[in-house]
Amino acid sequence: MRKQILLIAVSVFLIIGFFTVSVTAAEAGSGKVLCLDSAYCVKSDEDLAALNDKLNDISARQNCEVVIYTTNTFDGKTPTDYADDYYDASGYGWGKDKSGILFVINPQSRDWAISTCGFGITAFTDAGQEYMVEQMSGALSENDYLTAFNQYADLCDEFITQARTGEPYDNGSLPGEEKDINLAVDIIIGLVIGIIIAFIIVGTDKAALKTVRRQADANNYIRSGSLRLTRQHDNFLYKNVDVTERESSSGSSTHTSSSGATHGGSSGKF
Amino acid sequence: MEYECPACGGSLTFDSKSQKIKCPFCDSEYEISQFEENDGMNWEVRPGSQWDEGEESSMEVYSCNSCGGEIVCEDTTVSTSCPYCGNPVVLKGKLSGMLKPDYVIPFKLDKNAAKAALRRHVSSKKLVPALFKDENHIDEIKGVYIPFWLFNANVSANMNYRGERIRSWSDSKHNYVEHSYYDIYREGNVIFDNIPVDGSLKMPNDLMESIEPFDFSEAVEFKKSYLAGYMADKYDIDAKDSIDIANNRVKTSTEDIFRDTVGGYSSVIPQSSVVNLQHGSAQYALYPVWLLNTTWQGNTYTFAMNGQTGKFIGDLPMDKKAYWKKFRMMAGIFAVIGTVLAAVIDYMFV
Repeated sequence: MRKQILLIAVSVFLIIGFFTVSVTAAEAGSGKVLCLDSAYCVKSDEDLAALNDKLNDISARQNCEVVIYTTNTFDGKTPTDYADDYYDASGYGWGKDKSGILFVINPQSRDWAISTCGFGITAFTDAGQEYMVEQMSGALSENDYLTAFNQYADLCDEFITQARTGEPYDNGSLPGEEKDINLAVDIIIGLVIGIIIAFIIVGTDKAALKTVRRQADANNYIRSGSLRLTRQHDNFLYKNVDVTERESSSGSSTHTSSSGATHGGSSGKF
Repeated sequence: MEYECPACGGSLTFDSKSQKIKCPFCDSEYEISQFEENDGMNWEVRPGSQWDEGEESSMEVYSCNSCGGEIVCEDTTVSTSCPYCGNPVVLKGKLSGMLKPDYVIPFKLDKNAAKAALRRHVSSKKLVPALFKDENHIDEIKGVYIPFWLFNANVSANMNYRGERIRSWSDSKHNYVEHSYYDIYREGNVIFDNIPVDGSLKMPNDLMESIEPFDFSEAVEFKKSYLAGYMADKYDIDAKDSIDIANNRVKTSTEDIFRDTVGGYSSVIPQSSVVNLQHGSAQYALYPVWLLNTTWQGNTYTFAMNGQTGKFIGDLPMDKKAYWKKFRMMAGIFAVIGTVLAAVIDYMFV
């Protein structure tokens, strides 16, 4: 009997403990405004709230804050500087190294900028950012900001998950550059390989039937060691050098914001 | 007449001081002989020697009514069928008007060796019609001494080449490829011994060249007794008409052997080549060849074996049905393997 009471007591204690931790985590996750829509790009409040929840969920799950900010002015700064400063000033970022990514949109000037920090720099390579903006460009050009922001959130989630494996999406390994299994293509490739190899084999057999050939040279009749060179030279004439640019490098480039923090990022027009 | 500098492309002038042709732009100097356009290939031909007394009269000439081929036999050998077409031959008379060969390489391999080589030759080939393998009359194989002109020459030559070396490196921003160009010159001598050119009109040149090489070190001075039991062909293409074939082979080989002395370049383009013959001479010799003709579906297939080295050659017909049957089988097998491989590679990269 005492054993049973002890068991129940321990169970109750564990359940209460679990809920306490869950509630704390939930509060921490939903406490922040991760999409601040100063330029009113998202028309409906419900959509904005849902988007915020989504960003909070991703940020908490990934330990890396995913942030969106819309503004009608860059206060005279470059989009990149503005994004960096906004990120630093608003105290975004997860953990000590302030891991996170910020996407700033100016619907007036049609500029965008991305600022990354901490693990965000690792997860979002230059090529990765370019890929993300490319994915959003359709929605952005139609001023369908809600769709673009949702795409951004999903892409960030995917990119961070990928980066946790130790191999962030980069040049040559972006999502679109992967191969899908396509059996039809494989069969066609197999058929072509089969036909080519079969032709080589029967071609070899066919060629073996012909043994009568003219002799173009008289190499067999050169008296061995009879070659004597009486004069020879190898004179250098001139040289030229072809220079070509190397392909764009992979990885994330970084810079330092006005507050002295290290950021990755990029910017452009849409 | 204006000559272009092989090195820089500028116009060349004759330099009286050095007695050479000189380029005023890049100071390259060239021998005058380099710009002589024609190769000098002159031969001194010694077409056989005279027969000893009584030797010629003991040789008989047979003629083929079907193909017109003429063969020579020692009077102890009775010849019944033509080695070229298999038809009966008739005795035409005593030998006359043919020069005595300088040398002969005696038969080293007998008829049994020739028959075994033919069997191996046919059975080692795939796609030969099964019927063909049964139908060949390998017992008909005949030993024939074929007349050859042997050409000897000391060759002097000079060659000009343009060579290119490629070096590449890169830094963080750029890739660099450096092309360096060189003017390459080679002048020298090489000796050719006993290049054989078939002197029989009935004998296709490609067939005879295919059973080369013959080893001349085993050649002996001609004696009619070597003909006993064999047939011999008379030459009906004289040495002068065979020279072009020898010249082309000498020129090709000379160019090859000079080219081999040029190394260390990623590409070498010949600019000029001059080949001159000195002391070119030709001799008349008989070389041993086993011959067999097989007629199949209206076509004649000739097989030949080098009677000295045993090298066996002869084009065989192809069984088209066997060809396509094997093609389908191989294509099927490798298509399956290829598909599996492609799918595996596909899977591994997802």
